[in-house]
Amino acid sequence: MKFKKIRLLETGFNPGPWNMALDEVLLNSCNDGNEPILRLYGWNPPCVSVGYFQSIGEEVNLDICRDLGVDVVRRMTGGGAVLHEFEITYSFITKKFPLNILTSYRLICAPVTDCINKLGFKAKYVPLNDIIVDNKKISGNAQTRKNKTLLQHGTILLNVNFDKMFSVLKVPQEKLKDKMISDAKLRVNGLNRTFEEVASQLKNSFAEKFSAQIIEDEITEKEKEDCKKKIAQKYSSDKWNHRR
Amino acid sequence: MIKASNVYKSKKLIKVSLTYCKENKLINSITITGDFFLYPEESLDHLESSLIGMKIDKSILRKTIDKALEQVDVFGFDTHSLTDAILGCLKPEQDSSGRGKR
Repeated sequence: MKFKKIRLLETGFNPGPWNMALDEVLLNSCNDGNEPILRLYGWNPPCVSVGYFQSIGEEVNLDICRDLGVDVVRRMTGGGAVLHEFEITYSFITKKFPLNILTSYRLICAPVTDCINKLGFKAKYVPLNDIIVDNKKISGNAQTRKNKTLLQHGTILLNVNFDKMFSVLKVPQEKLKDKMISDAKLRVNGLNRTFEEVASQLKNSFAEKFSAQIIEDEITEKEKEDCKKKIAQKYSSDKWNHRR
Repeated sequence: MIKASNVYKSKKLIKVSLTYCKENKLINSITITGDFFLYPEESLDHLESSLIGMKIDKSILRKTIDKALEQVDVFGFDTHSLTDAILGCLKPEQDSSGRGKR
């Protein structure tokens, strides 16, 4: 699949509700008839995002998050709970995409996999939504479709604080926590590269894989205003975050 | 009314919380959560609604889930695993005080 142009937004490091609200606003912006959007961003403060179908109460130690200054937010996409801290996150939003779910994941994970490979690793896409290096998960991805527009967002792990991960996320049995941490170390890994290095390569890989010209842009005033409204109405509300 | 829950490992994790009538095993309320994917997402609300009033019985659950997921792309579980996840709520029973969580 080819795109003439991709609108690139590098939106910096922001709180979880802001990040998720902006993704939804951009899904609507793209839907207004614009070219596909590639957004690159980080999280400040760190944030746990839970999948659309998860229960925050079941998945997250809210008291520990509060003590550690970690945000908590529900995504509009499915999948599992994630601690976003040492990572780069991307969102890709497009009106042109394969209808088949698996094919569309494969399509958008291709530049992400390519990026990791170009940084010197041997990455492999594992359906439905993972990218692995040396059999360890390095990237998780999730997508939604609204009004004939697709949004896929995903993370590339730069580093992992396993102790913090397992303190903010609930584990089924506290006495098995040490074993879960050692198991997770066998299953999850970070690239150990800087945000800037990976961001630079991601841009190149999206441009190359989709034969597209990258157009650097900034979010508009309207998008900013819509984002503020979306935070207030949805992503900072209990109604949304605790809906399950 | 009996309150029960079950965690079931399919390709993804399915967590079922429900209340049901002890006498006839009809589902009174049900919440299904987990790290799975459904497209469209709203279909989970429809699935849960369609299970209310149904008996916790393998064949009835399978038919109900199959029908509710007819037009839905599901990744992480299937009709059989979700049926088993719900059936798993039947043993052992606990009272509505929530004690003795399964």
